Amino acid sequence: MSSMNHDQGSAGDKYWRSLDHLADTPEFQAIVQREFPEHASEMTHPITRRNFLSLMGASLAFAGLAGCRRPVEKIIPYVVKPEEIVPGVAQRFATAMPFGTTAYGLVVTTHEGRPTKVDGHPGHPGSLGAAHAFMQASILDLYDPDRSKTVLKEGKESSWPDFVSAWRDLYAAYIKDQGAGLAVLSGSFVSPTLARLKAEFLKAFPRARWATYEPVSDENIYEGLRLATGATLQPVYRYDRANVILSLESDFLYTGTDSISAARGFSDGRRIKTEQDSMNRLYVAESTFTVTGSAADHRLRLPGSHVAALALAVARALTAEGAVVEGMSGVDVPSGIALEHEWIQAVARDLVRARGAGIIVAGYQQPPEVHALVYAMNRALQNEGSTIIYREIKDAALPNRSDLAALVNDMNSANVTSLVILGGNPAYDAPADLNFEAALSNVRTAIHFSTHADETSRLCLWHVPQSHFLESWGDVRAADGTLSVVQPMVDPLFGAHSSIELLSLLTTGTEVSGYESVRATWSLYLKAANFEHDWRRVLHDGLLADSALPAVSPKVNGAAIAGALKALMAAVSLPGLDNMEIVFRPSASTFDGRYANNGWLQELPDPITKVAWDNVALISATTAKELKLSQGLRDGQNHQPMLRLQYQGREIDMPIWIQPGQADYTVTVALGYGRRAAGRIGDGVGVNTYALRTSTAPYFDGGLRVARLDRTYPIASVQDHGGLETETLASNEIARRAPTVLREASLEQYRKNPDFASNDVVLPGFKGLKDKDGKPVSIYDAHAYDKGYQWGMSIDLNACIGCNACTVACQSENNIPVVGKEQVLMGREMHWIRLDRYYKGSVDEPDVAFQPVACQHCENAPCEQVCPVAATVHDKEGLNVMVYNRCVGTRYCANNCPYKVRRFNFLEFNPGTSGFMQEDSPEILKLVRNPDVTVRMRGVMEKCTYCVQRISSARIAAKKEGREIRDGEVVTACQQTCPTQAIVFGNLNDPESRVARIKQANRDYELLAELNVRPRTSYLARLRNPNPDLEQPVAG
Amino acid sequence: MDEAPLIMGNPTFASITQQISEVVENKPPKSWYGAFAAASAGLLLLLIAVSYLIWEGTGIWGITSPVGWGLAIVNFVFWVGIGHAGTLISAILFLLRQRWRTSINRFAEAMTIFAVICALMFPGIHVGRIWVTYWFAPVPNQMNMWPNFRSPLLWDFFAVGTYFTVSLLFWYVGLIPDIASLRDRAKTRSKQIVYGILSLGWSGGNKQWRHYEMAYLILAGLSTPLVLSVHSIVSTDFATSILPGWHTTIFPPYFVAGAIFSGFAMVMTLAVIARKIYKMENIITMYHLENMAKIMMVTGMMVGYAYSCEFFIAWYSGNVYERFAFINRAFGPYWWSYFSMIFCNVVVPQIFWSRKLRTSIPVLFAASILINVGMWFERFVIIVTLARDYLPSSWEYYSPTVWDWFTFIGSFGLFFTLFLLFLRYVPMIAAAEVKGVLPQADPHRHNGKH
Repeated sequence: MSSMNHDQGSAGDKYWRSLDHLADTPEFQAIVQREFPEHASEMTHPITRRNFLSLMGASLAFAGLAGCRRPVEKIIPYVVKPEEIVPGVAQRFATAMPFGTTAYGLVVTTHEGRPTKVDGHPGHPGSLGAAHAFMQASILDLYDPDRSKTVLKEGKESSWPDFVSAWRDLYAAYIKDQGAGLAVLSGSFVSPTLARLKAEFLKAFPRARWATYEPVSDENIYEGLRLATGATLQPVYRYDRANVILSLESDFLYTGTDSISAARGFSDGRRIKTEQDSMNRLYVAESTFTVTGSAADHRLRLPGSHVAALALAVARALTAEGAVVEGMSGVDVPSGIALEHEWIQAVARDLVRARGAGIIVAGYQQPPEVHALVYAMNRALQNEGSTIIYREIKDAALPNRSDLAALVNDMNSANVTSLVILGGNPAYDAPADLNFEAALSNVRTAIHFSTHADETSRLCLWHVPQSHFLESWGDVRAADGTLSVVQPMVDPLFGAHSSIELLSLLTTGTEVSGYESVRATWSLYLKAANFEHDWRRVLHDGLLADSALPAVSPKVNGAAIAGALKALMAAVSLPGLDNMEIVFRPSASTFDGRYANNGWLQELPDPITKVAWDNVALISATTAKELKLSQGLRDGQNHQPMLRLQYQGREIDMPIWIQPGQADYTVTVALGYGRRAAGRIGDGVGVNTYALRTSTAPYFDGGLRVARLDRTYPIASVQDHGGLETETLASNEIARRAPTVLREASLEQYRKNPDFASNDVVLPGFKGLKDKDGKPVSIYDAHAYDKGYQWGMSIDLNACIGCNACTVACQSENNIPVVGKEQVLMGREMHWIRLDRYYKGSVDEPDVAFQPVACQHCENAPCEQVCPVAATVHDKEGLNVMVYNRCVGTRYCANNCPYKVRRFNFLEFNPGTSGFMQEDSPEILKLVRNPDVTVRMRGVMEKCTYCVQRISSARIAAKKEGREIRDGEVVTACQQTCPTQAIVFGNLNDPESRVARIKQANRDYELLAELNVRPRTSYLARLRNPNPDLEQPVAG
Repeated sequence: MDEAPLIMGNPTFASITQQISEVVENKPPKSWYGAFAAASAGLLLLLIAVSYLIWEGTGIWGITSPVGWGLAIVNFVFWVGIGHAGTLISAILFLLRQRWRTSINRFAEAMTIFAVICALMFPGIHVGRIWVTYWFAPVPNQMNMWPNFRSPLLWDFFAVGTYFTVSLLFWYVGLIPDIASLRDRAKTRSKQIVYGILSLGWSGGNKQWRHYEMAYLILAGLSTPLVLSVHSIVSTDFATSILPGWHTTIFPPYFVAGAIFSGFAMVMTLAVIARKIYKMENIITMYHLENMAKIMMVTGMMVGYAYSCEFFIAWYSGNVYERFAFINRAFGPYWWSYFSMIFCNVVVPQIFWSRKLRTSIPVLFAASILINVGMWFERFVIIVTLARDYLPSSWEYYSPTVWDWFTFIGSFGLFFTLFLLFLRYVPMIAAAEVKGVLPQADPHRHNGKH
């Protein structure tokens, strides 16, 4: 990248000092420390975006202090154009996003040096060209105006040089007594450079303590594999090779590590062209409905604490079927737990039949013993080496809760004089029983290195800003060990430093640039003779080819597994009203809290509950009945009853949400909410559930008691409000309509009746009179649409897992605003593509299916006829185009849209666009916008355009080369990011195009085809593959 | 029509002129000032609500997706409906030689004009970008763009605009002889000038009367189809859409019947008040009120028939979406609005079967208010049908915000401000026409006995 390595902190500093005495007045200092102008911190309701925006502009007045991005050293206008930059033409760079103990390869789109869009790297094993919601939204984090802009000492503005000199003093002292009293608390990482620096650090300070903590991690998986094999291993699953999959509370399609490759593999195993093909079968046992549970052919709900017993019962059944599982000798399934023996037998038979082509996978929330047993089962089924590969783990700092506990112990006994917290936010997310905050007060010099001045920073002597991964050098390994270099897309916006740079400083006392550190590490992997060439190759490719780590064949230690299992089984208890089970899980929006200040993610509805902007306590309908609770639907809004959760002497109050399919007597709460110092988006959103979480039971535990409170709390849900289930009229109608809206059949039904999806469509029109496409004849001369490109889309409901990635990708690509909780409560969310979630069956054991719905680009578009000013019209390529400039905003088109995919700018959701209220404009948030897409002003309608800007750029490219646009050249944002490749887009007029061929499939159907609006988007009906032994007919 | 005299108390031509003109010439009663204060406060509320709306955006209202139209369009249709009675009374009843209309036609027409002003305001302010509303108009422009003539909203624009223009002309033409009377009786110079200009040189000559009556007849002929067309076209906003509960051919006649129904109810409300305050009981007699009650009963039953017919067709058509839309209207989350509508519009007018009840002023007054409440709910019921259409995933619940209500209340402020100004400055009863139905205008007793 460019050499704009100026020092932001000192530049801002200098500028103000030149205003001589002004900077020294106490009033001025107060303003500076506040960081935001008057009333910023007084905002009582920080999630009201309108407040937030009105504060933005004023904050910018202070941007010159520390946040100015203009290089002091040199400013070069494009008078002489840089060779590689064509203004207006986007450039794409490969990089990687570190995430826990894995990494996702990225391709980042930049416009004139400004990153605007993140997508998956097609060649990277972790992303395969797709990107999940967190990856998509990471670009918004880069431009988060609340990121910390300056080094803070005791909460007051300081500077990087000040920090460096302070550290040098400490360094000199610690190096003398080998680091005694020095400790580092880091997040987990898998990075050769960080690992090298960690080793060097521990070499320089042999008596220093290093602990690694992650609130949500695969620690239990690693522990379990260590228990079973004695080795630290990374499991890599090949779902595409599996015919039968049993998930023991593993949400491998969504929150699990490497969810993209899992989702791709899983959906590849279900991709069916004709009724002759076969597909895999998924069994899921879980307490809370997850995305993976919704994809299951058979789902079993049970408390998380009973999963171990279930696993043991399955292992016994496997042994009985001839696949002898080690590690069970002397362990009995605890009596008193009702297990579905028929289910277990059927699963075991299926798994044994699919020997070598099955997968048993347990969720990271399950204790290590379960993972050890699962390892033994997979081994017995000969799945190891075929569908599951175990690899060694290299260059990693793996999370370890007991290390954190030991560190806290040391801190409490004042054995830690200096603590460096490298990333993470332990004051917020450390287990409540450790009381990290209190322990931290015993540390003389606490240094917190993080992107935001957060809860932990406020308790530390020093806060040092950390750079975003898109603005720093680094390296990572994917789950299979593949190496990538993280290269910056932009200079640090707020002058922050990377963890590599900080760790170098800690280790050596001198400043080393991240670039140099990474290159130094990579001299290991790249031959010195050819270093520059290979280095460039790696940067260009985004990964080092063939750097995956080899598979290993571990040995199983049956006795160790059996011993551990015995203890676990003894502890299993029966949940009931007076002994409920609390289940913690990462939020689908904020994950562990790290994305709390990301508006896109906060507004992204949970895949299952469809709740945005809050976390809720999920309980089953049966439990709710016993507690005399119901969904608090009033005037179309959820005013949810509050519940007091009491667990191990701690309590929190949370709104309830009755979740179909939730295990009885369990309460599931999402982590990552209730932040106090996340920033203006995330502060005060939801309830901090870490307050209940202990180090001994981080994911689930019994002993929860609940008490109903006399309060309600408004919850914003984008679909059904969960409460329609309580209104018989509506729920009956939904149940009646769902099968025709979202068509599905079992594989068996499909084979019997291959045309089930299109069978029940009755089109109006002249009976018997059909045109050449088999469409009813109209009394009008319809436009032919048979020339040139005719764009269309196909969405495979059998592949869609409802993961929301498309929604965020579309938001990023198309500059879709965030509207805030108040507006979502009113039903004014702006997402162009939404994921409709339908329940089928009973409230306790429902099936869940998803349907992505965006503008269907009807040929007989009802919206076009009613617009009085012709602001929405058809183009000759079949696009239903929206002319923002012409729109008056009557909303008639939205009323007349049968799919309700049109979104209206009820208020000025993009500040400054209407020409007044300019002062509301958040300058830095403008940088995230795609310059190829109009930013809509208030009062205009908007909707999915089929990414018309991408069609245009493909057209320009084709025209320049004097050819037609090739099939697959235009990829919509939703299609590009879809982990399961459920969406296909292309030219319907080309019979050879993928989309045209897919639409020939017998599962193809049009949504609401009976209206004869002729949508250009069609769906492939969903299929389930139930086990005939477990007769559970699929509705519809 | 029966034999009862249309005007009571055996007045003379002079006493009619005196009685009607002195309302304008003398200081208004104290109650007028009270009413005007209240009405202009309402108008002020409207101005505040609309200013805030323009400043902040339509998001201050409760509208959402999928209920893109809310109270604004409810109020629009409501006011257009009210605006029906005036022209119906003046034009259709004129052509049908219903001579009893003369006592009520003037302020019914005024009411029409003011109601249409209120109505026209709503589509104007409910759009997202109020500053480009002029794009509705088919004016040649630099963008080389015409409006979309396929859109019912554009038909609305023409239909209501034409109706307003013709109604205004009709009203004004009718006013000319009476303004001339005021001019002749005027005591101050300024009044003489203003009324002089407005009376367009009326002298009351035989030739002028001949031309005048021909012009009036032609305007009545022009207005008559408009009475039927304007609400038919308003109904196409809904009827031409694709939505269940909206897409129905019964809408045009049903809307017209409903409009006449609500219009007469509003005339009744206003007439009962005005005749009391201005002591016009001899001119607006029980006979007039009773006739209006009969019309309300008939149109009320037409509306009731339409309601049941909609239900029948929803079931008979076999269209599942249509069927649900109607069941949901009656038993869904908005059941209260549906049954308020049924009670006010179908049940309440049934009391007019009883002569005793339909000649009781308090009963008439209460019923007329209830009918207007019911007709407002009818439009509300139609609009909120949007809340649950095809895909259950997008179903929502619409609840109006305080700004919706302010705008609604404010529109009454606008209406009554205009109406009170009318009572103050314009003869509220067509004096010249009333004289025409006095016995002494027809010494040979020809009228009414064809």
